[in-house]
Amino acid sequence: MLHDLSLAVAPGEVFGFLGPNGAGKTTTVKILLGLVKPTAGRATLFGLPSADPAARRRVGYLPENFRFHDWMTGRQLLEFHGRLAGMTAEERRARIPEVLERVGLAGRGDDRIGSYSKGMTQRIGLAQAILHRPALVLLDEPTSALDPIGRREVRDFIRELRAEGVAVFLNSHMLGEVEMVCDRVAIVDRGRVVHAGPLRPLVAGARELRLTVDCVDDGLARLLCPFGRIVGRDATTVTLALGDGREAADVIAAVVGAGRRLHAAEPVHRTLEDVFVGLVGASEG
Amino acid sequence: MNALVVARFTLQEAISRRLVLAGLLLSGLFLALYALGFWFIYGIAVQNTLDPRSRAAPLVAATILTILGLYAVNFLASFLALFLSVGGVSGEVDSGTLLAVMARPLRRSEFVVGRWLGYALILVVYVVAMVGGVLLLAWGLADYGPADPVRAIALMMLSALLLLTLSLFGSTWLPTIANGVVCFSLFGLAWLAGVIEWVGGNVGSQAMVNTGVLVSLLVPSDGLWRGASYYLQSPIMTELLPAGRDYLPFASIAPPTAPFVAWSAAYVLVALVGAVRVFGRRDL
Repeated sequence: MLHDLSLAVAPGEVFGFLGPNGAGKTTTVKILLGLVKPTAGRATLFGLPSADPAARRRVGYLPENFRFHDWMTGRQLLEFHGRLAGMTAEERRARIPEVLERVGLAGRGDDRIGSYSKGMTQRIGLAQAILHRPALVLLDEPTSALDPIGRREVRDFIRELRAEGVAVFLNSHMLGEVEMVCDRVAIVDRGRVVHAGPLRPLVAGARELRLTVDCVDDGLARLLCPFGRIVGRDATTVTLALGDGREAADVIAAVVGAGRRLHAAEPVHRTLEDVFVGLVGASEG
Repeated sequence: MNALVVARFTLQEAISRRLVLAGLLLSGLFLALYALGFWFIYGIAVQNTLDPRSRAAPLVAATILTILGLYAVNFLASFLALFLSVGGVSGEVDSGTLLAVMARPLRRSEFVVGRWLGYALILVVYVVAMVGGVLLLAWGLADYGPADPVRAIALMMLSALLLLTLSLFGSTWLPTIANGVVCFSLFGLAWLAGVIEWVGGNVGSQAMVNTGVLVSLLVPSDGLWRGASYYLQSPIMTELLPAGRDYLPFASIAPPTAPFVAWSAAYVLVALVGAVRVFGRRDL
């Protein structure tokens, strides 16, 4: 069940579509591509209804759990997809060796896909997604089945696409992944977008300072109050969300000045994971 | 245009999966074996004829041998039609390979029609080659001439295409194995109905004949074969025999009625339209 979802991806932008499993990410992509019909409402792509095949002309797609015809060679698969994408024989002749080279399968184009490793199948999948020089590439969990090296390759590949001015829509539940490549994100939970916007302010949003002392008591809490809000404390550590215009150095000076032994003072970086768990957790509560 | 790309892909699949190679080898083997058997049995029939000037016994032998051979070819063509297309759509859906394909600017109808065209081409070539092969052998070995080989081939082709379309329709909404069970059961049912109709005709039971006719309207494959078998017999045979008596349980001495052939052709069209519509609504 999806509710009133409107997402725009600009050329040369990597857009992360995040959500827990079952949030409706894959369904969203499938609806956009006309693979699944919405039970109610409608979806548009490049201003065209998603049921219209013309809407898919400028889109490349790598499905989740990608599988390709194992009886075909890599080159035959690209030939087939090139024809379906409406490329002329000349365009295919020029472009197919180019994309095989690009994904590192130049020497294996005439081998059957059935003989490919998982990583190679992934790469032939990326090759078919960019074959016809699409304006938008939809990648559904492109790295979930890959080893760390394969993941890095896919990340580099996504960055290259961005540099070429291609809009990339990345569906993922792997937050580290998204944090590394995405410019903007939408976080979806149970069919609703709970947050959408640029990634940087989201992650860098709050300035927090964690102090480690001998003993956290009410005296220390009172001392810290003017500097901001205490967001976490236990026996020896206290986490402070700094107020506007307050600096970490002043907090440290105040604590030491009050005669307390300060073992550590570290800025807390909020990761996308924290944001994500916060948002999704909150909507569950 | 896109349908032709899918048809080409379907043919490519048949070649890559060695279906074409296996089909050629086995068909060659079938024809060789058939020629050998024909030569032996026909030779015995000629030898055992008491009056060497009588051509009746050799003609009966040649007719029966030809009909038997083509009856086997009809079975092979039917199996080929069912096996080819039983997973024509469902196989692609189940394996997940269809997602990337249908994300192209390709209509659902173009995929179904392209699949159908590819399979149909294989079947048409198969039926022409095999029926032609058997008839040429019978002509070479026994100087046998059927009443109307062109109509016979057309009817056998229609029968194979009908089964193809039926199972392609099934594969748009049933999983491959379920579709296989359903289609082979229907094919068997049509065969059984043909036998019931033949027995009913010979014992004079109108109820049995009606049952057979009703089932053959539901699945006309066996009825089409019986129609083809009329044109495959020597015209001398059908004229010699008393009217209304089928001398073989798997052949007919009456030509197919025009309404039945029209019904069968319409059946193919409706099943294909059904396949397009069902697949068009399906979520992938």
